[in-house]
Amino acid sequence: MIRRLRAAAILVLCLVAVLVVGAAVPAAAHNVTAGADLRIAQTIAGAEVTVVIKGTPRVPGPLRIGVVAYQPVAALPVGLEVRSVEDGRTVTGTARAAARDPQYARLQVDRTGPYELRLSAGNEVAVIPFRVLVDRGSAGDFLIYGGLFVAGLLLAGGLLTGALARRGAAMLLAAGAAAGVTVAVMVIVFEPWMPPPVPDGAAPEASSSEAGVAAGGRPYAQARVATVPARPEAGEEFTLRIDLVDGSTGRPVDDLAVHHEALAHVVVTSEDGRYFRHLHPLRTAPGRLEVRMRADRPGRYLAHTELERENSGGQLTSATVTVGGEAPAPETQSSDPATSDPAGAGAGGVGAVPRVRPGTPVAGRPATIELDTPAGVRSWLGMAGHLLIRSQDGAFSGHVHEMGTPGSRLRFTFSFPQAGRYLAWAQYATGEGVVTVPFAVDVTASEATR
Amino acid sequence: MSGKRALAAVALVVVAVTLFVVGRSMAAEPLRLTTTGTRYAVTVLIEDPAPGRVTAEVEVTSGDADTVTLSAVMADMGHSTPEVAAREREPGRFLAEGELFAMSGVWELSIRLDGPAGEEQLAVKALIPA
Repeated sequence: MIRRLRAAAILVLCLVAVLVVGAAVPAAAHNVTAGADLRIAQTIAGAEVTVVIKGTPRVPGPLRIGVVAYQPVAALPVGLEVRSVEDGRTVTGTARAAARDPQYARLQVDRTGPYELRLSAGNEVAVIPFRVLVDRGSAGDFLIYGGLFVAGLLLAGGLLTGALARRGAAMLLAAGAAAGVTVAVMVIVFEPWMPPPVPDGAAPEASSSEAGVAAGGRPYAQARVATVPARPEAGEEFTLRIDLVDGSTGRPVDDLAVHHEALAHVVVTSEDGRYFRHLHPLRTAPGRLEVRMRADRPGRYLAHTELERENSGGQLTSATVTVGGEAPAPETQSSDPATSDPAGAGAGGVGAVPRVRPGTPVAGRPATIELDTPAGVRSWLGMAGHLLIRSQDGAFSGHVHEMGTPGSRLRFTFSFPQAGRYLAWAQYATGEGVVTVPFAVDVTASEATR
Repeated sequence: MSGKRALAAVALVVVAVTLFVVGRSMAAEPLRLTTTGTRYAVTVLIEDPAPGRVTAEVEVTSGDADTVTLSAVMADMGHSTPEVAAREREPGRFLAEGELFAMSGVWELSIRLDGPAGEEQLAVKALIPA
């Protein structure tokens, strides 16, 4: 009996090994499954919104799509068009952006696999590629329930044949039942180490037997940044266009992962730091991101773009944009960002002045920046707070996240890399919109380098 | 004697279950890829997907294409392969032969179609087994 159990155990172990080698884990990027929403921030029609796509547990079934606004909007209508890239079937609907409890549009999908969501608001259009996935029953569950089912069946058969005094047959059935129980128990024990089943509709993934896996990240993306029109005037709306090109193939980079709830984060600041925008461009074509904006004064503006390719780390690209036109009257200007008007999109107002500890941070050593916030701060871009930092000359750009501080405050920890003056903007969202708190930090050199 | 039989029975059950489970999780050959753009829709059939020379049959299921060209990119490694022009064997059916995939892994197959409706490039992911 023990020998039989051992043989069964060895077979089950072989089975586990085969499963580990044979199955692949899908990438998380742009996938919509039941219970795992896809959230993508977009700056569209002058509004900062997050598009939420909720998955379906089975197909045919409904996708639910809603648009959460992070600024007061009067029920901004957002046109939705979901198109299957496989068969071209298209369903349309309309969502109304709202700050709280947006109405979700239900769009019926017939199959899993690749889709495109076309968003339209105002006169802007974005096309977001995503995949609809539906979980398959796991092989582990199948073995557990199958094993127990077989065991139950054979035990009943064993009892009956035992009652009929057929010893050999009864033994055989009892052995089968034991094997069934063994398979079930072994799988229960080993399930945590087994790979999850690949959902229906997942993108093909290379397993360890194929080459091209774990290459250590994809090649770098190069950004060609331009404005449309080429020379925008102060006060005039223009499009900031970012064309991403793969450094190894020269092809458009169209595999951006959703990174902190956006395809890319674009931070545009004026040289003096008085102008600040944190925007989420729209994908308008493969490898092309665009966002509409307006600069209030002529001059040079810095555009830092944070992005992440699928299966790769984050990247930062920077560019300068020149805005022409007439300068406004001098009395409205202020050179110190700490005392300037609140910058950034949406409502706000300078909240409490952030506390920096130590008062003069030392380069290379962690400093904390703490900020009191009103009640009702809500998560934005997956975090309670964001801190964007730029060195005065614009050569350095940082993006720090709040790490979940209890109470009505945000706390950021950051090691300023070099001595000098840094411009910083803390951002959080309330029911009214995104609040931006600009301030400046002077950093001294460390003793070691002084 | 009954012990050996029982062991054989158990082994058979386990092998059957293994084959069933593994069979479910592995992709079936050959490779059949369908994608639809705004102007054209295609189904690409690759009978024997493998690194090296392959034959790909492109069926244009929607739209009227005059020329069909295939190329491929392996995004993970930054590899790309030259364009392979497909020749039209019968209306709507094109055949391309060439080295599309330099190695095994996930490739993005680009299908460039041109016709009276204009040019369009479609892309579909393909897993090329070792």
